[in-house]
Amino acid sequence: MNTTIKEQNGEMVALFEGRLDTAAAPQAEKDIQPLLATSGQNIVLDCNALEYISSSGLRLFLTVLKCAKAKGGHVFITGMNNDIRNVFAMTGFTNLFEFR
Amino acid sequence: MDPHGEKLLEEFRQRRPRLVELEGLVLCRLQEALERQHIEVTAIDHRIKKEDSLAGKLERKGAKYKSVDDITDLLGLRVITFYTDDVDKVAALVAQTFDVDWGNSVDKRKLHELDSFGYNSLHYICRLPAGSADEALCRIPFEIQMRTALQHVWSTINHDNGYKSDVQIPREYLRQFGRLAGMLELIDDEFSRLRNSLADYRRRMQTLVASGQLDEVSLNADTWESYLQTRPFDRLNRRIAAVNQAELFPAPLKPFLPILLALQMKTLGDVQRFIDANADDAYLLAVTQLGVTDLDILTESVGLQNLCIVQALKMGGGRPAIVRILNAISSFGDNEVLAQSIYDRASTLPFMNNK
Repeated sequence: MNTTIKEQNGEMVALFEGRLDTAAAPQAEKDIQPLLATSGQNIVLDCNALEYISSSGLRLFLTVLKCAKAKGGHVFITGMNNDIRNVFAMTGFTNLFEFR
Repeated sequence: MDPHGEKLLEEFRQRRPRLVELEGLVLCRLQEALERQHIEVTAIDHRIKKEDSLAGKLERKGAKYKSVDDITDLLGLRVITFYTDDVDKVAALVAQTFDVDWGNSVDKRKLHELDSFGYNSLHYICRLPAGSADEALCRIPFEIQMRTALQHVWSTINHDNGYKSDVQIPREYLRQFGRLAGMLELIDDEFSRLRNSLADYRRRMQTLVASGQLDEVSLNADTWESYLQTRPFDRLNRRIAAVNQAELFPAPLKPFLPILLALQMKTLGDVQRFIDANADDAYLLAVTQLGVTDLDILTESVGLQNLCIVQALKMGGGRPAIVRILNAISSFGDNEVLAQSIYDRASTLPFMNNK
């Protein structure tokens, strides 16, 4: 699992590659710290290269969302594959996030 | 302009930086006070008098002022409200926030004869309360005008066309202005009445929801919100969450209202029956999805989402109905594949095979 953070067009973009499961979550949590330190910028969670997400991954996304909302920012998710979409739908996460 | 007027104008020039300072301070306190009391206004205009405007005033009536301290509108603010009742609320707030010079303040609304209509606005001459800024700043007067948006429109048009104009306006046109003022006063009152009626309606609906008389409550944005406060989906959500011992995270349920309306629900009684009739099938549908995973975090929309899908399928909507539901609650975009997957799982359940 690899997480890359970059700034692009005034937004913070997190690029997730691989499987965001329970084993990978602690490192991913450290990697996303710059997203939690933003001052209200919009955040994009780029899932084009994300193969799988577990409950730990959903909690991580939720942490980013709560933090961004508190500062007036938006969190957009982009590029989810059908399996991850399915996870979002069955857990009811679909109407929490904005999708691009 | 006479030498006295020139002297006052020079005093004004020297005072300008302090007026700028005062403007920022007053605006900030006024905005804070309005926010604290949750009073929404359409605008707060503010300005420091322009030098040419002051020069005109001094030419017309400069002898009236001994010093620049006697000119009370060098700094002016105008609070424009939506509702006529709010003018009095803002006035009370202004009186609480600043020291009001009652002798020089005027309620133009009360100056009209019973059968005349015209400029309606409340003008308070204020100062910062002693001790809230330096002494010199607390001595400078400023004017706060308060009026409704409709009164503002009338007075702006009237000001541009009548008051201060070089041309004498014929009586028939002045009468037309007066008639319009009367009409706008009536509209202002109607808006206030409508707001009060809506507030009454909301309270009535909340009472009916609280007492369980759901068939008498039509389904709309207000009643839906009241109904949600009774947490009608908690039982189903907890039942679904128990499958994986999942924690439930709050989620907005407002986006489901258009779906319920599209599913032909007209009252909260219909919604209650929809829950009662579909809860078991919605639970089974959720279990077919979650039971084969170890996902232990869900949102509080999971129960309602499955209820809507079950109801839509029972009504014969098929996969397109699931697509419509998913489109309404998310901005995913293409929901066809997801809908097909949900439809395939639902097809294995008794409610789809016992029709």
